[in-house]
Amino acid sequence: MTEPSRVCLVVDDSRLVRKVARRILESRGFAVEEAEDGKVALESCQRHLPGCVLLDWNMPVMNGIEFLKALRSQFGPDEPPVLFCTTENDISFIEQAIEHGAQEFIMKPFDEEILVGKFTQVGLL
Amino acid sequence: MDDLLAEFLTETTENLAELDVALVRLERNPDDGETLSLIFRLVHTIKGTCGFLGLPRLEKVAHAAENVLGKVRDGVLGVTPDLVSTVLAAIDQIKFIVASLGTTGAEPTGDDAELILRLDAVSNGRAVPPAAAPSPAAPPVAEVPAAVPAPSVPPIAAVPAEQPRPAPESAVEAPQSNQTIRLGVDVLEELMTLVSELVLTRNQLLQLARSRESAAFSVPLQRLSHITTDLQEGVMKTRMQPIGNAWGKLPRLVRDLTLELDKRIELVMRGAETELDRQVLELIKDPLTHMVRNSADHGLETPAERRAAGKPETGHITLNAFHEGGHIVIEVGDDGRGLPVDKIRAKIIAKGLATEAELAGMTDNQILRFIFRPGFSTAATITAVSGRGVGMDVVKTNVERIGGTIELASTVGQGTTFTIKIPLTLAIVSALIVEAGGERFAIPQLSVVELVRAGTEAAADAAEGEPVLQMINSTPVLRLRDRLLPLVNLADLLRLRADEARASASRRHIVVAQVGASLLGIVVDRVFDTEEIVVKPVAPIMRHVTMFSGNTILGDGSVIMILDPNGIARATGIAGSADGRSAGGPPAVAKAGRREERAAMLLFRAGGAEPKVVPLGLVARLEEIGADQIEAGADQVVTQYRGRLMPLIAMSGTLDLTRPRQTVLVFADAERRLGYDRCMGLVVDEIIDVVEDSLAIQLSTNRPGILGKAVIAGRATDIIDTGYWLTRAFADWFDAGEGGPGGNARLLIVEDSAFFRQMLEPSLIAAGYDVTAVGSAAEALALADAGARFNAIVSDIEMPDMDGLAFVARLRAGGPWMDLPIIALTGMTSPAQVEAGRAAGFTDYVRKFEREPLLASLRQCLAVSAEHRLHA
Repeated sequence: MTEPSRVCLVVDDSRLVRKVARRILESRGFAVEEAEDGKVALESCQRHLPGCVLLDWNMPVMNGIEFLKALRSQFGPDEPPVLFCTTENDISFIEQAIEHGAQEFIMKPFDEEILVGKFTQVGLL
Repeated sequence: MDDLLAEFLTETTENLAELDVALVRLERNPDDGETLSLIFRLVHTIKGTCGFLGLPRLEKVAHAAENVLGKVRDGVLGVTPDLVSTVLAAIDQIKFIVASLGTTGAEPTGDDAELILRLDAVSNGRAVPPAAAPSPAAPPVAEVPAAVPAPSVPPIAAVPAEQPRPAPESAVEAPQSNQTIRLGVDVLEELMTLVSELVLTRNQLLQLARSRESAAFSVPLQRLSHITTDLQEGVMKTRMQPIGNAWGKLPRLVRDLTLELDKRIELVMRGAETELDRQVLELIKDPLTHMVRNSADHGLETPAERRAAGKPETGHITLNAFHEGGHIVIEVGDDGRGLPVDKIRAKIIAKGLATEAELAGMTDNQILRFIFRPGFSTAATITAVSGRGVGMDVVKTNVERIGGTIELASTVGQGTTFTIKIPLTLAIVSALIVEAGGERFAIPQLSVVELVRAGTEAAADAAEGEPVLQMINSTPVLRLRDRLLPLVNLADLLRLRADEARASASRRHIVVAQVGASLLGIVVDRVFDTEEIVVKPVAPIMRHVTMFSGNTILGDGSVIMILDPNGIARATGIAGSADGRSAGGPPAVAKAGRREERAAMLLFRAGGAEPKVVPLGLVARLEEIGADQIEAGADQVVTQYRGRLMPLIAMSGTLDLTRPRQTVLVFADAERRLGYDRCMGLVVDEIIDVVEDSLAIQLSTNRPGILGKAVIAGRATDIIDTGYWLTRAFADWFDAGEGGPGGNARLLIVEDSAFFRQMLEPSLIAAGYDVTAVGSAAEALALADAGARFNAIVSDIEMPDMDGLAFVARLRAGGPWMDLPIIALTGMTSPAQVEAGRAAGFTDYVRKFEREPLLASLRQCLAVSAEHRLHA
């Protein structure tokens, strides 16, 4: 088993985005778990709480905000840290996400520099 | 194609197919919020993902469409046919761009300014400007049932007519140049087999065409040849996997080792994408893991040591893979302390692997290569990490088994790099082509140790060390340097008509092959070249003939069999096979449950008509010594032998000096490097035969010099006690080296055969050990429970009830004997068995009857465990 703190759960409905995130994070020593929507992500957290979560907001079944609310209500206000992904179209979501307990937001599309920078900022790297 | 782009195309194609259906549904039910958010999300995803790949044209179109849909979602805009049409036009344009990406890997040139203008207009609630492109007709869209995608209304002329519109149900299977499918390995294997078949047929055709000089055939044949080669490469490619797959567990392993060893280690992996055949990949996994372990354990220093040496505290282990020719090269390197040449040199001498003089003529690298010798380990202490008794020799064996080579380069203070070179595939191997009885055969190069041309005793000149073929009655043996090797005549074995001229030639070609831990000489008529052959499995009808491992077709079209030296050894019983062909053993003995021990034995007569027998492995040489060379002294008879005096002992008690020639069994002690170098000759009346038989022993120990009787080939035969005869020549034969090498270490022998106990005990006692012998694992365990203490255990493998493997596994599991050196003693030493034994916990493996290797192994194990105790 990898240390729990080094597991990052990537929640995004796009396989491509998950793949990009996986590559970057694995190159930095994270073990990556994937979920294609908030519901799957929540189930994954209930089985095994990851060290951190990279979270998309627009997903079928359970979107990012709903997932975040559920995660914080079930596992407490701070752990695991959540980095919220969004686009320039939805600035309003950033406020909402931070309010519901996300540690940081990341604008899509991200690249290695952006992602690593944000992860470093919140002390995960 | 870049796999991110491939992933994008697959994902986007799926999303687009879903969008078509959803948009139609939305137009019918403008208030369907769920469908609306689905559409929004799909367009959003397309837009979001283009950004990751840098596709500006696609992103702009998707972005404009998303803006429109966002306003619909927010209730700013209502769903109108115009709006839906404009969005559909955008989706069609996205499809067009995606299609182009799929074929060319790049966005098509051109721009979508007009489309974006229309989308922006819709978004801002203005009327759609008069479009240059025909406005898509809404009514047909509305009439289409929801489950079927809207017919392709071509609002944008640029959409290629032949571009298939993926139906939602088949979106995943939609023809797309970059899609992947899963299929079973067996399908690939089958393809590979068929292609090999094709290659062989092609080769035959080429051979035919060459002799016919037919121009009409040559052109299509050339083409067939090229296609076949391409096809072969293509199919080989499907079996390829990145070597990174074999490295997956290493980062974790290294991480754990850093904690365990209290070292700081960084693992660097380069060329993980380098591909090789999956079969080879599987086989290389374990050796690589072992080498990385070794580097971490032995190669790299502790942080304190590194600091003292002026190096960064963190050591590096670097894996590097790349292709070179038809091989894959894998380097495993560390920036650690390097291999200590001086220590290795000292150890080589201490172990008697080479003399000081021999080493003087060697380069450092040649000396370092001794670490690949069995049982060689440079670590002062045996750690849990690198395991017990498993060293670089095992790695080397594994690498060589798949046709690879291993090299090493080391600089003291700077580190060590091992370079493994392995073929990309095992489907084609290098083989030696030989001929026997007019037929050709292939022997895999891997099992060939050396090629020897040996003459009979008469033909051989007296040059020392020249291999000599000795016929002992009808049984030939090869005297090669200091060993007697069993010989198999291939033509005889396969019952082929022997080539008279060659069979009677004074010198024969002998292929010395490795069979497990021992060597076997295969006599052949001719030796041709080595050739790359395509290995084909043996047809089921011949599969029971274990002498063949497969067949192949040579360039000239002839089908030849590939020999399996292991199978040959089994067929002749030389490897001490476990199959119970009881050759003449009385049934009563077999019924008594006595396990049969098969061994090659030298049968002779001495001092009586009754035949006597000695295990062939104990005899160094057979000599005929002329009476003129024998000098009878006051109390000893000696002969000049190889530049020194060799005492002769007559088994019959007194030497009949009137005989013109004496038949002598020469026993030599190989420990000349430890300062003693002796041999003695046992004079016998005549050599009868070399037999391979099971030993069914009835003991009778009341006669000096005789261990007991066995029934050999249906006759009662005396088994001689070599220890007794050796000490007759030299009273101190076993005592050399200060009180004997054993130094009173306590040994436990676990052996169900009384014969072997009887044989082992005296020579081990003579070697200075304090010996206890028991007949079963249960008795040994009882001793352990009773608190008995030993320094080492020598155990048989094949025993009734609890066998050696179970016994050693039990000991290793815990208890007072957990860390004792345990040496396996067995007649069966195939590499697989050796591996199984090591895995179970045996420290070393020694073949039965081979006294010298056993003593050497004991010395080494006891020395290592003494060092271990010192450090503990």
